[in-house]
This record gives sequence, C-alpha cells and structure tokens, in this order.
Amino acid sequence: MQGSKSKLTYSEGLTTPITFIAAVLIFAIFTPNHIFINPRNLGSIAKLTPDLGIVALGIGILMICGEFDLSIASVLPFCAYIFTLFVKNGMNPFVGYLILLPIGAAFGLFNGVLVVSTGLPSFIITLSTMMFWRGLLYGVSHMMPISILRYVPSESFFARMLIGQVGPIPVQVIWFIGFALLLGLILHRHKLGNWIFATGSNPQAARAMGINTAMVKIVCYMIIGVLCAFVSVMQSVRLGSFAATQGIGFELKAIAAVVVGGASLRGGVGRMLSIFLGVFIIQIVENGLILMQVPVFGVETFIGIAVVVFVILNNFLYRQASR
Amino acid sequence: MKKALLVLFIVGLALSFGFLLGCAKEKPAEEAAEAVTKPGEGMYFRLVTHGGDDPFWAVVQQGMRDAADELGCRADIDLAGGDLANQQKKFEESVASKPDGIAVVINDGTAWDKPVADALAAGIPVIGINNDDTEGPAGNKRLCYIGQNERRAGYMIGLAVFSAGKAKGVNMAKAHVAMAAEVPGAAYATVRALGVKDAMAEFGIKSFEMIDAGGLEMTTVESRQTSYLVAHPETTFMFGAGGICTDRLTSSLKNAGKAAGEVLAGGFDAAPGTVEGLKTDFLVASIDQQQYLQGYYAVYTLYLYKKFGLTPNIDTGGYLITKDNLGLIEELSGTYR
Repeated sequence: MQGSKSKLTYSEGLTTPITFIAAVLIFAIFTPNHIFINPRNLGSIAKLTPDLGIVALGIGILMICGEFDLSIASVLPFCAYIFTLFVKNGMNPFVGYLILLPIGAAFGLFNGVLVVSTGLPSFIITLSTMMFWRGLLYGVSHMMPISILRYVPSESFFARMLIGQVGPIPVQVIWFIGFALLLGLILHRHKLGNWIFATGSNPQAARAMGINTAMVKIVCYMIIGVLCAFVSVMQSVRLGSFAATQGIGFELKAIAAVVVGGASLRGGVGRMLSIFLGVFIIQIVENGLILMQVPVFGVETFIGIAVVVFVILNNFLYRQASR
Repeated sequence: MKKALLVLFIVGLALSFGFLLGCAKEKPAEEAAEAVTKPGEGMYFRLVTHGGDDPFWAVVQQGMRDAADELGCRADIDLAGGDLANQQKKFEESVASKPDGIAVVINDGTAWDKPVADALAAGIPVIGINNDDTEGPAGNKRLCYIGQNERRAGYMIGLAVFSAGKAKGVNMAKAHVAMAAEVPGAAYATVRALGVKDAMAEFGIKSFEMIDAGGLEMTTVESRQTSYLVAHPETTFMFGAGGICTDRLTSSLKNAGKAAGEVLAGGFDAAPGTVEGLKTDFLVASIDQQQYLQGYYAVYTLYLYKKFGLTPNIDTGGYLITKDNLGLIEELSGTYR
C-alpha cells in the first residue's frame, strides 16, 4: 500500500513537468525559425512571468488549503499605491518596502478573518473585498498614474535588486525561484504544510486532529498579502510608475495557472514545483501562440483552448499514474 | 455575537469611508457662500461614459469637476466599465433623474440612436463626448460633439512617425506597420487604425497588422507586444492604439532587443512610460487627445445650452507631443494631460 502510494505521489509529481516539457518542445519546434528558444524571447518570458507567478504561488497554497482569493487584483495595485506615496513623500525605498510587507500581510489578515469568521465561501468574500479595495483605491488615487522614476531611478541599487540582471538572467526570475523554494519547503517539509494539506482535504478531520484550521487559513491569506506587496513594488519599479490597472485579471489567471499546475479546485492536492511550472505553462502558451502568428482576434480563443488541453493532458497523465 | 460584531465592524468601516469622502468634498464656509453667486447654481449635469479601470477617465473627471466648481453647478460621471448594456442602463437612470443635461459617449453606431432621441424628446439636452456616431450628426440626434476626431488623430500620428522614417531613408515599399490595441475591436482602435492607414497610403506603405495586446493589464500588454516584435523582425513602424499600449511600447522594444529608433514608434496619450519613451527616443511622437477638455467643455457646453441654446462642436484632439514640447506634458501627465 505504502509502495503504491509512493509510486502515485512520484508519478503525480511528474505530470506537470511532462506537460511543461511538452509545451516547450511544441513551441520550440513549431514556431517559425524556432524563435521560441531565441535567448531574447526566453529572457522576456523570464522577466515578465514572475509578476503573476509569485502571487500565483501564494494562490496555489491557498487553494491547497481549500480557499480562493480574488482580491489580489486589488490588493496588488493598492500596495503599489501605498509604496508610491511612501517614496513620493521622501521615504527611503528600502524602508518603504519593509513597512509595506506587513501592510500586505494586514490585507491578507483582513480577508482571512472575514472568511473564517463569517463561514461564507471565500470566492464571494474575496470578490467583495476585491471590489471594496478597488473602489477605495480609485477614490483615493483618482486612477491617476504616478511616475516613480525620479524617486526610484532604474539604475539605483534598489531597482537593480528587483529588476536588474545577473549575467543574462533577470533578477525577477531569481526572486520567483527563491519564493518557490521557500514556499515549497514550507508546504512539503514543514508542519504548517501538513496542516495546509489537512485543512484543504478534510477540515473536520483536521480539526479533530487538533489543527487550528481557521488560523491555517488566515496564515495562507497573509502569505498572499505579503507576496502581493512584494510583487507590487517589483512591478511598479519595472513599469516606472504606479498604475491603477496593475493586477487586473491576475485573480483568474493565477487560478488558471495553479489548476494547470495540477492543484485541485476542491483543495488538498497540489505541489509547489507543479504550480511553479503551471505559471510558466500559461505564459509559454500565450507567448508561443503569438510567435506562431495566430490570427489577431483569435489569441484569447486559442489560449482558452490550450489551457483546457493542458489541463486534460495533466489529468490524463495523473489518471495513468494512479492505475 | 462575533458575527454580529463583525457585520457591525464592516458597516462601520463602509460608513466611515463614506463620511471621509463626504468630508473631503465639503467646502469651507466662505467658498460655499461664494458659490451662491456662481452662474450655474442649481444646475445638475451628468456624464454617462463607457470608461472604467483606466486613468484616462480620471482626467476627464478632473475636467468635469473643475468646470462644475467654476460654474457652481453639480456634475457626476458614470463609468460603465466598457459594458454597453450597463452604460445604457445608467443613461436611462440619468434621464429618469431629470438632469439639466447629459453628455454621453456614443460608442456604438446604432445603439444610442433611440435613447438619445427619446431623451431629447423628453426635454433633456444630450451632447456627445469622447466617441461619436460614425455618421456624425446624420447618425445620431445628439446636439453636438466634443472630442477627438479619431481618424484625424490616427492620420496625424501616422504622418509624424512615417515622416521620421522617410527622413531616415526607410524603404517604404517594404515597410511593415504594427498597431497594438488594448481592445482591438473597439471603435477607438478601429478608427485610429483607419487614420494610420490613410497616412500609410500617402507614404506608399502596404503592410499592416493589428495586434491584440490583451486588455488593460500592463504586464500582459508588454508581454504580448514583446512577443510580437520578436516574432516579426520585419516590423518597421509600431503604434500603440491606446494609452496603455503606448506606455508599454518602450519597454517592449527594449525587451525585444531593439535600440532607440530601430523600430519607429508612436501612439496616444501621455502616460509616464510614454513620456519616458519620448525622452529616450524610443518613441517619435504621441497624440494627446486632451481629454481634460472633454470633461471640462461638456459641463460648460451643457450650461451654455441651458442658458443660451449654444451647441458648439469642439475637436479636443490632435496635440502632437514630441521630445521638444515635453516639459509641460511631463509636469501634468496623469493629472490634467
């Protein structure tokens, strides 16, 4: 029994990497002049994927815990706005960043407390907080973009720390890998990870085992808040400004990436490596389709089809491994 | 008990927010006294737009507020988030509230014919702003139109960018033009593209492609524009059809390994990224449609119609921004420009 479980876990862990490799091979072979594997293109994917990717890692953990968070689409720009106000008023960006991270956690705390105390579906609660924070953001910012280049020049150490290059590798992807490793360790090697899986797969049983499932969920929401705060600054520095449109659509794209990465919408199932690769699969599909020169008005359709195909492929491989 | 406290907390938070907003709008006593003497006292106007999550509309709103403050009237703006049905619902609600005038974005050639005619028949003045019926006054009964002539704006940016190409000795017969649009099928993108094509014809350029930039989220826009540039090294000229695509053009060109001026680019509006692109020569020019004026003149025009029956058509667009006239634009970008 133990042997078959190990085999299943091992094989299950391979399905998303196989899907990822399949996506890379398909686009490497079929894009004109194999332009997909052009270093410039790969560099651009590595630079732009972490914006969504880092937040999606947190969403993945939360989905394993059995909950959703749609409010990332508003928390992210709100954090960007707060950081912009900090630096605009003369605060050192490092200090501003350090203050912003707990503020991000507070956004998560707010969501978490609302979800566990009301007992309502997190989809509805975080949909409401998404609208609440976005409305508030529009009210206070008047949707005006604010340039931060004069406060955080792109050649400054702070900017290079977030959006610079280490040789040919963009720093953003190093942060992304770092967060994936850290959260992977928490999820798969720390008791909090066990509690997250237990809470997501069977909350009643988890509570019977003495796990404070409410606290586990709140911690997951706070992790997402911190990740949103981190990404908000990384993205603003790259964009050179705060924009009220930051993060729009991230809420569903992150869920799609996590599902493509093999996590279950019902909770209790998921692996950090797979979620990490799932984000790349989503980005690769979008990038590859444009490189394959699909018709302009069909891009979204093709992306939708491709996501479904990759999820089916992932499930098929999982079922094969389960036999 | 806990739940009741939580609900009370949320309601309290919402009320506090409303109170804070209310306080923010409150005027000092002397200002309020001064308002009594203003000419638009007692009038109420409404702007019904398809706008949404876009800083563009914040500038329109700023213009509306400034004009309303000057005239001493009240004015509100509806942002329908690109949803035509929602915008029509808001229009009907506005008509029902019997304001002294409505300014509506006519973003559909037929959908606004009846609502506007009905409102006019009910005695409510209606003017068009920002987008007009493609047939102008022949297609819609609105009293007048205030906004950019989109086709002319497209033509002007095309003219500016292609002229720069000609000066550099670009072979126009082999040139390829790409235009990235946040919403490719939307009227603004379609009509601006027609203007660019008008300019293309003058320069003998034939190859054109519209790119779906994937919406308003900037990383997606940058990613798609970069992918396109990597996949299409033959691109000679590139345009952003809207403010967000233009904002992200410079970064996209850099991502794709293009040097400044290697692909001649231009677009619309004056967002921070666009200003940076103009300063660093990645962008040749941008067209500012001066949307502040669309909010500002909408209120003034409705007021003037109410007082004197005046209905001026005003073209707010066509202000060409280049590196040479950036100073004021840079200072006001995102607030009044």
